[in-house]
Amino acid sequence: MVREIYQAVADGILVGGVYALMAVGLTLIFGVLDIINIAQGVLVVLGGYLSYSLSTRAHIDLFAGLLITIPAMFALGVVVHWAFIRRLRGAERTSMTLLVTYAVALIVEGVLYKIYGANNVQLSAPYTTASLHVAGFYLPWIYVYGFLLAVALVAAVYLLLYRSRFGRSVRATMANETAARLVGIDTGRVGALTFGIGVAVTAAGGMVFGATNAFNANSGYDLISRLLAIVILGGLGSIAGALAASVFMITLESVVTIWYPTWAIAVFYAALVGVLVIRPRGFFGRKEVRAQ
Amino acid sequence: MIGERGAKAGGLVLLVAAAVAFPLAFPDPAVTNYGVFAMIFVTAASAWNVFSGYSGYISLGHAVFFGSGAYAMGIAARDWNITGAAVFELLPLCAAVGAAIAVPFGLIALRVRRHTFIVITIAIFFIFQLMAFNFSFTGGSAGLSSPFLTWQESVYDTRFYYIALACAAGAVALSWLVRRSSFGLRLRAIRDDEDRASGLGVRAMRVKLSAFAASAGLTATIGAVWFYYVNQVQPQTGFDPLFDLTVVLMTFLGGYGTIAGPVLGALLVEPGTLWLNTQPQLAGASEIVLGVVFLVVVLFVPRGIIPTGGEWIRRLR
Amino acid sequence: MRPHFACFSRTALASVAVAIASAGALAACGGSGGSASGGGSSSGPITIGASLSLTGDFSADGQAFDRGYKLWASDVDAHGGIDGRQVKLTVLNDASNPNQAVTNYQTLISTDHVDLTFGPFSSLITTPAEAVAARAGYAFIEGAGGAPTVFDAPPNQADHNVFDVSLPIADEMVPFVNWIKSLPPARRPKTAAYPMAQDPFADPPVQHAQEELRKLGVKTVYSKVFPEEVADYKAPADQVAASGAQLVVLGSTDVPTVGAFMQAFEQQHYTPKMFIAAAGPDQGQSFTSAVGAANANGVMVPNGWYPGYPNAASKKMVSQYVAKYGGGASGVNADVAEAYAVGQVAAQAITATGGTDNAKIISYLHGGHPISTVQGPVRFDDLGENGSAASFIFQWQKNGSYDQVLPPGAPGSVPILAAKPAWSS
Repeated sequence: MVREIYQAVADGILVGGVYALMAVGLTLIFGVLDIINIAQGVLVVLGGYLSYSLSTRAHIDLFAGLLITIPAMFALGVVVHWAFIRRLRGAERTSMTLLVTYAVALIVEGVLYKIYGANNVQLSAPYTTASLHVAGFYLPWIYVYGFLLAVALVAAVYLLLYRSRFGRSVRATMANETAARLVGIDTGRVGALTFGIGVAVTAAGGMVFGATNAFNANSGYDLISRLLAIVILGGLGSIAGALAASVFMITLESVVTIWYPTWAIAVFYAALVGVLVIRPRGFFGRKEVRAQ
Repeated sequence: MIGERGAKAGGLVLLVAAAVAFPLAFPDPAVTNYGVFAMIFVTAASAWNVFSGYSGYISLGHAVFFGSGAYAMGIAARDWNITGAAVFELLPLCAAVGAAIAVPFGLIALRVRRHTFIVITIAIFFIFQLMAFNFSFTGGSAGLSSPFLTWQESVYDTRFYYIALACAAGAVALSWLVRRSSFGLRLRAIRDDEDRASGLGVRAMRVKLSAFAASAGLTATIGAVWFYYVNQVQPQTGFDPLFDLTVVLMTFLGGYGTIAGPVLGALLVEPGTLWLNTQPQLAGASEIVLGVVFLVVVLFVPRGIIPTGGEWIRRLR
Repeated sequence: MRPHFACFSRTALASVAVAIASAGALAACGGSGGSASGGGSSSGPITIGASLSLTGDFSADGQAFDRGYKLWASDVDAHGGIDGRQVKLTVLNDASNPNQAVTNYQTLISTDHVDLTFGPFSSLITTPAEAVAARAGYAFIEGAGGAPTVFDAPPNQADHNVFDVSLPIADEMVPFVNWIKSLPPARRPKTAAYPMAQDPFADPPVQHAQEELRKLGVKTVYSKVFPEEVADYKAPADQVAASGAQLVVLGSTDVPTVGAFMQAFEQQHYTPKMFIAAAGPDQGQSFTSAVGAANANGVMVPNGWYPGYPNAASKKMVSQYVAKYGGGASGVNADVAEAYAVGQVAAQAITATGGTDNAKIISYLHGGHPISTVQGPVRFDDLGENGSAASFIFQWQKNGSYDQVLPPGAPGSVPILAAKPAWSS
């Protein structure tokens, strides 16, 4: 039994890394721009398909392929922001961005169906089925690499936000958009870049998701609610919080699965409700709730 | 002034007459079927708006009430052996079940605001869906079948249309009453600035909870009607995350916090979506079309149809 | 203040009026497309309508079914139609949503006035759809709604209009259990794991197998239901691997579930001696493209049909499918045959009753006449289940060959790989 619990904890940490990769983009977009990006799940799937095409058509390694898919998804994010989200202002902004991102999700999903059909596919590479053998446990390489990638991306985004001029503008915008504009920050540019970065890091999440699950164009919808839960639990806009919350949640779920698989997700959500009632800003939430 | 009022009253009468005459003007049951789903979503969107639109708390968990209404009707009809049209007598019970669930739900969720509230409603929604899957009295993953109604094909849709229309009228009337009342004024004060409203003596929790329960009762009622109309409820169709999203999108599209907004949004989105999918030449492309339509709408009416449309008219004058 | 809070502004009234008018117009022009020829006419093409999940949760199967229906219709037309009448098939997309399925069948029946309706994909969509057909007095011939709720639903209890051409699910593991029984005790698996997806379709056959195998002394080391609506099956799969069971009977409904379990097993360096899944491995190329042909070796699945089925009509269908859609014979999805068989049952009923009168078709199909299809003989019981269907067990062998292995000695059966080869990638 003790062994099973260790195994479940290991699973939770490793799978949690995959969820963190998918959630980082969401927390950036949600935290900085105050946009609930309903398209996040579909963008994960898009990232998976881009890696799939590169690896099956051009035989490019999954991780090397990220050097192509990340900039491509960045461009997509900037275009969506520039064309639609930039124009929305005022009281209805949050609500109308929900409409925009849902529309983006529908279009991306529809196009993926047209290109790839509905058959499920999965990314494969030697490391998607091989494992690292440690202390009697098999840790699949894809999860190990995925977890390292999550940590690296979290660190990179963190450095970008806290050690660069751009980061200062982002944080200023996050704290108070009007004030940021008054001190001369181009909040439109900050918004477009942030949205772009949020979508770009999702390319990495999509690749690891696609290497650990069979998927088709529709697979993204099951993800969005869990990702939202993770983002809120971690604290809106907190990159490290997203990683911590992913690991916490998936570990909890995976341990409960030993005894009650069908109640595991309910425990996940019940824990979420419990934590948020006590700490409405999540684990690493900022003190001040964003001004309305 | 009197002229304007007269015009409004006349317009309202015309609208009601159009809605009542709809199945007579288009007797094809397939067309009436669009009307039934449209009215189901007019009710659901208006009910959602009574709480979320007026209070500013965006709930993505109203499917809890929709599904609970459907299950309440299914379980009561099964356990008490109720069949035929008598099943409709259970509607008030379904409403009560929805409102009763809203009280503990609201007591937990309404302690937090904004994004945290949204995510808590999603979480509670999933807990309900899982309960429907895991318990045996809900029929588990197979769900529940509705009692058989011996109504002929020729009257089935028309009768359901009028039942759904009555629910929709009730929902719009409730929106109107709440909007006019001092209760509605308190709700909107909470929407504008909850701390200030509390400071001015508004008992925020009580006001929010009352609106939440009223909205839930209506949603549960229409959920029960839906269940009887489509003859079946399963955990993933009764407690459907897309239901929440759809209702929210309809309201945003039409105009959040207005009376006509959710009505208009539901009338456009639901029949529009259903119709797109019945076009064989669009097979599989209907999502792209729907997505493009949404984007275009957002470009032209960035604040929703009713608010932006109102601006245009004011500018014309 | 006053105008802002006005309850129904003129704009609002005008917009709602426009919306009602356009909704009516939309619906009406949806309606104008159909021909007015009612069901039962005896000349002109035979019109058939179906709703399938071309998008959404069931899209992988829905699109395969779509190919099956279309293949049947084009085969029939290429051979002069049914009694000289061509077939005109209309397939609408229900996006895996029951509301849309209800709307689609209403449209097909009362607006397009199709002569016959064919079923959608999955029991979830079939139950609401069959009620629409029952009210209109239509026969509802389907191949993918096999859960008890479909047959026990009140509309079918009243009208007996549902006919499922496929294999009843409860007994589908029987040949596998019989084979284990036939093995000398020393070669039987000692331990077994039964992970089951939470689904009315997946669980009953697995539970039945568990009960029978327990009687044979096969020890259950894992038996749990896991939720289907998650994107990650690693935790339950790892627990099955940790149990070290020699036999795994997976209650699955689709390819991603089976693929996730296989991947986790390989990562854990765990190869069960025998591995059988309720559904997923029968999906032809959809399965091998997700798990890899080499890894599929030894994986078993129960079904009523496979591409090598020794039946002339089936062989012809497979070669036509390959000619039309490419790929190899083993890549043909069992959904295609299920859909094709629906068409064949309808064709025989039309020929026998001399037309498309649904009442006559319903009574003919309940008449106990044997009907031969690409999936073998079909004969319906009182609630429309196919009582004649025989279950077989199929296995992936030799890197991409999908073969019938059980019952041993049945026509078409090849020797079984009794021990699953190690994972190979």
